[in-house]
Amino acid sequence: MEKSAKELSGKIALVTGGTKGIGKAIAEKLAFEGATVVVTARKPPEGKIEHHFIAADFTDSSDITSLAETMVQQYGIPAILINNVGGTSSPAGGFQMLSDEDWGRDIELNLMASIRLDKAIVPKMIGNKSGVVIHISSLNGKIPLYQSNFSYGVMKSALNAYSKTLANEVAGHGIRVNTVSPGMVRTTAMESFLQSYAKSIGKTVTEAAQQIMDGLGGVPLNRLAEPEEIASLVAFLVSDGAAYITGANMLADGGTYPAV
Amino acid sequence: MEKELTGKVALVTGGTKGIGKAIADRLSQAGATVIVTARNHPGDENLKHHFIAADITISSETDKMVWEINEKYGAIDILVNNMGGSSSPSGGFGVLTDKHWENDMQLNLHSAVRIDRAILPQMVEKNSGVIIHVSSITGALPVYESLGAYAVAKAALNNYSKSLAKEFTPKGIRIAAVSPGMVKTDTMDAYLQSLADTTASSIEEVTRNLMNSLGGIPMGRMALPDEIAELVGFLVSPRASYITGVNYIIDGGANPSL
Repeated sequence: MEKSAKELSGKIALVTGGTKGIGKAIAEKLAFEGATVVVTARKPPEGKIEHHFIAADFTDSSDITSLAETMVQQYGIPAILINNVGGTSSPAGGFQMLSDEDWGRDIELNLMASIRLDKAIVPKMIGNKSGVVIHISSLNGKIPLYQSNFSYGVMKSALNAYSKTLANEVAGHGIRVNTVSPGMVRTTAMESFLQSYAKSIGKTVTEAAQQIMDGLGGVPLNRLAEPEEIASLVAFLVSDGAAYITGANMLADGGTYPAV
Repeated sequence: MEKELTGKVALVTGGTKGIGKAIADRLSQAGATVIVTARNHPGDENLKHHFIAADITISSETDKMVWEINEKYGAIDILVNNMGGSSSPSGGFGVLTDKHWENDMQLNLHSAVRIDRAILPQMVEKNSGVIIHVSSITGALPVYESLGAYAVAKAALNNYSKSLAKEFTPKGIRIAAVSPGMVKTDTMDAYLQSLADTTASSIEEVTRNLMNSLGGIPMGRMALPDEIAELVGFLVSPRASYITGVNYIIDGGANPSL
């Protein structure tokens, strides 16, 4: 469609973890489509800030509460909420390597962060009888990888279930809730993960990336995604063009997921 | 202004009514040269797209149609396998004859296989192309009372679409399925009307009953054909460059599973 009139003009969007990687690409895409975009991160990015910024540490629940308050006071109730924060610092090596603390951190960042922020924002969306929530999950939530990402995959699975359940509850109030599950994406975090993983298994970065792609059963498109390719799916899902889509988990994985 | 699909040639099977028509309109609006096919010309003088009559349940007609498109418009960049449906009776397993099963498989699976086979070589040659299979939520959510054989054929189509994506994605072709829930097409309206007539109920009642047979639709309404077309319009565009092998559900939340 011709994009002369901007699709998201007049909409306020909140993108968590929006200063780098997939979150940054999403923030840029939504701003390009005309939305007023507010991003969060623990610290403001170095250099010029292109979007509105609120500092928040998602491992701290009081930070999430004050983020929601600041957001609503300064910018209003967001029409679009992108729960993009996530990640893991748990060690590779499988089940026995993971401590209670590792599990706890992965739960906080990949599941509880979204639940807490949704709990603060979604009731206000319901008051407006409209809103769109996106949860950025991972292909890992559907394809477990015990060697490199055991606890992270488990949390993304939980996030998928949570997102679907929330969608069922709020659909009648005019709120759409969807999940996006990217495969391997070429972010700076992915590049540093590949570096440290390569080191831990005594291989080169290329070999480590290949090992993970092979562990996924191969990537038919034979490359990693660019962050912008995930952002364009998110931008579609938050647009009015996706008005009948809720409770869905959309894969963007270059064909990696092997099952029907 | 250059549009997103300017210069692209798109074929939409069953593109003269319902979801297919909405898709054809949407791709045309995005700048594509759109060819629609159906067994019979819709007789609509306002038909905005190029039309080729073909019965794609017949192999020779399918090949002839593709040849004709190539001659007139060039190689096909976008193929939307939208044609499908069912003429099987309601009433469950016991009322379905071999003929019903064969017809539903023919219409929903074999036709797509046949047309993909005719068009894939030209996409492989160019190392690019997009194929969409319009499936149905029933492919993952069987409804035995009214659509048993149709649902089985759509499940087969989903499996086939995934398999094809595995084989042809490395050759530069993206292949995806789209699974709509209940869509308010003319066919759906007529179906609801006939249900209302035979059960002496109102349209509202039979609509609610049908929605309940899916376990309810959280969004509380049917889709409009244009809403399905928007998703297809996204998937065939360069914006979906990393998306292949997927089956995107667009059902207002109706599928109860993860």
